[in-house]
Amino acid sequence: MSKYAPKKNQLTREFLEKPSPLKGDYADREWWEMPVEFRDGNWCHSAKPEVLKEIGFANPRKWAAPDEDWQLPEGWEKTIHDGLKERLKKFRSLKLYLDACVRCGACADKCHFFLGTGDPKNMPVIRAELLRSVYRNDFPMVEKILKGFSGSRKLTKEVIKEWHMYFYQCTECRRCSVFCPLGIDTAEITMVARELLNLIGVNNNWILAPVANCNRTGNHLGIEPHTFVQNIESLVDDIEDLTGVKVNPTFNRKGAEVLFITPSGDVFGDPGVYTMMGYMLLFEHIGLDYTISTYASEGGNFGLFTTNDMMKKLNAKMYHEAERLKVKWMLGGECGHMWRVVHQYMNTMNGPADFLEEPVSPVTGTKFTNARATKMVHIAEFTADLIHNGKLKLDPRRNDHLRTTFHDSCNVARGMGMFEEPRYILNSVCNSFNEMPEDTIRERTFCCGSGSGINAEEFMEMRMRGGFPRANAVRSVRKSHRVNSLVTICAIDRATLPSLMRYWNPGVTVYGLHELVGNALVMQGEKKRTEDLRENPMAGTEEGDDAE
Amino acid sequence: MTNNWKEAPSINRSAVLERWMAAGLGLFPERMTPGSPAGEALADAMATLVDHFAEDGEERREGLERLTRIFAVQSMPPSKSLSLFGTLGDILAGFVAGSGEREAMRRHLERLTLEAFDCFMENRERIYRLKVEESRSQMHMLLRRAVS
Repeated sequence: MSKYAPKKNQLTREFLEKPSPLKGDYADREWWEMPVEFRDGNWCHSAKPEVLKEIGFANPRKWAAPDEDWQLPEGWEKTIHDGLKERLKKFRSLKLYLDACVRCGACADKCHFFLGTGDPKNMPVIRAELLRSVYRNDFPMVEKILKGFSGSRKLTKEVIKEWHMYFYQCTECRRCSVFCPLGIDTAEITMVARELLNLIGVNNNWILAPVANCNRTGNHLGIEPHTFVQNIESLVDDIEDLTGVKVNPTFNRKGAEVLFITPSGDVFGDPGVYTMMGYMLLFEHIGLDYTISTYASEGGNFGLFTTNDMMKKLNAKMYHEAERLKVKWMLGGECGHMWRVVHQYMNTMNGPADFLEEPVSPVTGTKFTNARATKMVHIAEFTADLIHNGKLKLDPRRNDHLRTTFHDSCNVARGMGMFEEPRYILNSVCNSFNEMPEDTIRERTFCCGSGSGINAEEFMEMRMRGGFPRANAVRSVRKSHRVNSLVTICAIDRATLPSLMRYWNPGVTVYGLHELVGNALVMQGEKKRTEDLRENPMAGTEEGDDAE
Repeated sequence: MTNNWKEAPSINRSAVLERWMAAGLGLFPERMTPGSPAGEALADAMATLVDHFAEDGEERREGLERLTRIFAVQSMPPSKSLSLFGTLGDILAGFVAGSGEREAMRRHLERLTLEAFDCFMENRERIYRLKVEESRSQMHMLLRRAVS
């Protein structure tokens, strides 16, 4: 049992004697007087000192959220104050979001963490107030004069603990922003709050360890180039065993037409590797002239969950490699937050990439004008175009053992507005696709509950609560349509939704979209396909039936 | 009032559910609203249990599973979560006439509570298994190579 687990007498005191909002104990008090309590399952481990030293981050030390003393650095209040001042100047959106909120509450019941926990501080409006209340105390002149009347409060160690608790119970999914009549993006407030916390060494190891790995090796998992290649070659062997087709990925090849970049989870983790196999089958099927970089070996970017500067640094390798390898354009794999970085920030952060060309599909001739600025195309757009132009030979019956539904990944749906392409592909590669309820999909999609770097094991209970609204929506189609497969286009989803499903909806398996594409592709020279990419029997083939 | 404890939940279904649901929502340390996904799932599980209260079949087990799955990831201890069955007994006692019938119902509720405890612990164990499985999935290729 963890040393932080509460003792029996502590629990008795906590649940029977402590003040509770339900008993009206806080009826006449301010919201910030509600206590913050760290207990097993609701906090993530802090970053290890060696991780912080490696990336030059502040205040390396051993500490944990339940500790009384967080060993904040000397002058931490000034560091936060100056940090906020600097960011108010740097990010006009932040100042706008802090000033514009009228507390209408339209966002209040839209957050999956609020819906899963019932904790009022998980209402986006209150989450933003955590920072806004300090801002009001220290910045706008009128409100400085009206201290005590404007919802302002002083920055204290307790406030820092509250920030750490609740800005790491926000997955930056932006569902709340869809419903805000003023367009306030609470995710950006969370991003800035996390930046400020990093200035004083209040952090999360699940985020910063991958950041350090990526900084060192080019990918979150810290895979060295030779291991990266070995893993992919091992998947090539698997594909040959299953299909009889030898696919031929190349690495760091100068002069290739396309540089393909995908999250490292696709190369290392289960079930991401099956999606990687799907990509390689697709590229072989159309004869794409592509290469994979062992340096830009990560599509994801945990810098997004850390600091603006770190995001920029980790992202820079994409354009660097594209330039070094002299490719024409870039193709990106299935990922969520990678696409928020690529679509919304990359061009202005590390561009313009004048050395690249406007992406054109070598197979269909389609110009991806939407990617004119970034020079990077999403794999779902690329594949949907191939299908639309009849360039893929597909047998959707090969996925008849799967009854699917589709989870819109937050960053792809709300961050870049992609809704139709994955559905178009899914409808082309399988015969059973069922939508979840309308208010839980597309721009209103519910988060997996583990995005933005909080998919730590020690946070499992909170993840199950935060992911409950999504699981509940899956349950409804499981009941009504006997759905057994949840398809997604995000590497974090592929890593975290399996746990969410095993807990709330046993019997529902998580798949990447291109894994299903790989199952359905009829490859030239293939042997009789009887198993899908996971080596599970395809429908109708158990007794030797021909799937084709 | 009824002379048969097995009929009490169905005859007084809406009154029993209303009071039991209020008690269930009241267990959460934070404010949980009835219309939220968690609140609705709770109501659904409780309704299943009330509808199949006296039976010993799959539906009742399913109701227990779903109810305890919700509570097993909350911050309250099992004793607090399972006190809900004591509350159900108090509510139903008001609708059952005769001490013999009430005693029979109490014994039935005891069995139900112990069964719920088993479900609760299975869900807790599932959480720990998920942590292990997630670690293994992240290291899938490494483990595969080590095995081969």
